Amino acid sequence: MRNRLLTLGMTAAFVLAACGGGGGSSAPGTSGPGATGPAATGPAGTGSAFDPSTISGEVTLGAWESSPAEGTALEAALAGFAAKYPNIKVTQETVAGDYRVQMVTNFGSGDVPDIFYVNAEYAPEWMREGFLEPLDDYIANQGFDTSTFYPGYADVFKSDGKTFGLPKDGNTIAMAYNTDLVTTPPATLAELTTAAEGLKGQGTLKAPLCINPSLDRGLAFLYAQGGSLLNADNTAAAIDTAESKAAVQWYLDLVKNGLAMTPSQLGDGWCGEALGKGDSAIVFEGGWLKGAMDNDFPDMNWAFAEVPAGSAGKVTITYTAAYGIAVDSENKDAAWVVMQYLTGTEGMQKWTEGGIAVPSRSDVPVPAGFEVIVAGAEYAKPGSGFMPGYSDVLKAFGDAFVAEVTNETYSADPVVAATKAKIDEVLQ
Amino acid sequence: MKRVGERQEALAGYAFIAVPMVLFLVLNIGTTLYAFFISLWDWNIRRGPEEFLGLQNFERILSDPIFQSAIRNSIYYTAIWVPLTMAIGLFLAVVVNQKIRGRTFFRAAFYFPAIASSAAITVLWIFLLQPDGLFNEIRGALGLNPLFQAIGYGPNHNWFGDYRTAMNSVIILNAWTTSGTFMLFYLASLQSISNDVYEAAAIDGAGPWDAFWKVTFPLLKPGHFFVATVGVIGGLQLFDQALIAGSSNGDPNNSLMTIVLYLYNAAFVQLNFGYAAAVGVVLFLVIFTATLIQRRLFGDTQPA
Repeated sequence: MRNRLLTLGMTAAFVLAACGGGGGSSAPGTSGPGATGPAATGPAGTGSAFDPSTISGEVTLGAWESSPAEGTALEAALAGFAAKYPNIKVTQETVAGDYRVQMVTNFGSGDVPDIFYVNAEYAPEWMREGFLEPLDDYIANQGFDTSTFYPGYADVFKSDGKTFGLPKDGNTIAMAYNTDLVTTPPATLAELTTAAEGLKGQGTLKAPLCINPSLDRGLAFLYAQGGSLLNADNTAAAIDTAESKAAVQWYLDLVKNGLAMTPSQLGDGWCGEALGKGDSAIVFEGGWLKGAMDNDFPDMNWAFAEVPAGSAGKVTITYTAAYGIAVDSENKDAAWVVMQYLTGTEGMQKWTEGGIAVPSRSDVPVPAGFEVIVAGAEYAKPGSGFMPGYSDVLKAFGDAFVAEVTNETYSADPVVAATKAKIDEVLQ
Repeated sequence: MKRVGERQEALAGYAFIAVPMVLFLVLNIGTTLYAFFISLWDWNIRRGPEEFLGLQNFERILSDPIFQSAIRNSIYYTAIWVPLTMAIGLFLAVVVNQKIRGRTFFRAAFYFPAIASSAAITVLWIFLLQPDGLFNEIRGALGLNPLFQAIGYGPNHNWFGDYRTAMNSVIILNAWTTSGTFMLFYLASLQSISNDVYEAAAIDGAGPWDAFWKVTFPLLKPGHFFVATVGVIGGLQLFDQALIAGSSNGDPNNSLMTIVLYLYNAAFVQLNFGYAAAVGVVLFLVIFTATLIQRRLFGDTQPA
């Protein structure tokens, strides 16, 4: 009997050990507190000009790959790099599975690619935790032109006045509509609700609009109606202002009044599917919608238009990802050379010609079909990555919103209260 | 003389287990103690300990409403899933323990879901339970919709998308996939029951029904204890199905948020490793307590 108890205790202990994971590999003090700047590692020292063509070495590049087309596009960009900088050998490491989790364990062990993708979603946490190398000295010493990056993308990767990443591409949320049912896309939110009223019951529509029960789209409408999540200097919640509350209520009322349904209510995986199947006529998605529609619903007639303007004018939100350099990298100079090529005009053009990504800088040609996405970038605000802990805020809003929709109570107050409580918690 | 021989034998025994024992102490016990240590700190995965917090991580955990949902969900899941799966497993074991034709085939068939990857089978389940999935189609075709309508589920109910049915969908999925494993455990226990007991019962006039409830079921007590314990430990560790069906948020509306998923979030989404280790400690305590309680309930489990 004692033996058995002991075994059980050990099984339980094993559970804990398995869960405690991660920590086991990061003994305290294995790596410095991120103080090593470019100056310490090579010719990028302050004051001396940096010439990328003089650098040689080997660089590993960590990337996710969500489709074969994405892999092909990256190969094309890297081929361009190899032709221009033959002294630097780039080895691409595609991270399979959960990219974020895999990279975090890599940071913990110190065995991390030199340069890698950083999604806006977790950029604030990665900057705060000191995973990323500041790029300001490289940018200054080489005189790399960052002025043509759209601020809605580039701002996500800045913290405390330092730049930790340069956007490799970017997306804005646009309105996509069924051109058979909607002849003139609504240009204002008032026109949007009028158009939705007129669409009720037409064709195979289950609901005129498909909306995500989340800030991942709702934030655009919050901004468009003069509301906000945070105050101007991002130090306190502003979701409880009258404008913000009214915007949340407006979003809920779309569902309440039968003008919109969530993908879950429609029985679709996401709003793109709802548009493709004819369940909804108007949805709000980014450039990724194009590839999905071309693939899955090639016969559907649809088009992008800008998100309708609200009382605060035209607003939309961005989704982006950057290249970052690991603080623990031993090849930072060579990694920077790769970065300045891939986020420069030539490399970005090769990358975006693949048709699956949209340029994040204004001096790169816009691939066909993404004109509206790029037009939105002129005035877009970051849709993620503007505060640490945003995934928790997003979750708090989404959970409360879904509860209001499921219970058919449609009141903005609990949604606002839950969101504010979570913002207060993560900001403190 | 004899004593020396015994000692040598013991030494040889220890020598044989030395290597696995050291690995076990370092990799299991060592990391467990290390996790206890980490749980007292604000811990950066790259830089290590940043600030000593004492028990603050634990205070925060216990006051977090999402953690409370996670505890509730994990306990609900365990409380329903373990008895359900035990019942199915026992039933299957009794069936395939009969001398029936092709019983090897049935044993293999019932065990089959257990060897399939949990990720693959969860994705399959999600497809089956989609609003326009096979499950809704079949119940429509069988004319069962009025029955479902009566308990509040429309013909296109989104089983994983609705927070009232998401967890139950996972429970049924896992009862199906794990019952084969439980069947195997029960089968081993069933075969350890001597035939003499059944013969004695038959002489006393017990029919099959009585024989099962009055002879087989009580004699399976060690089997019950083992299966229940393994089940409770596994149940409280529910993770992969919840992550796949409800993302790391435990969507919809925290209905699939479990303790381990909460821990995963704390570690890999919030990068709060000290806090995550503290969640691990809490989970350890929960499982340890549950096991002790079971021990009490089942009493002495050594077969007579």
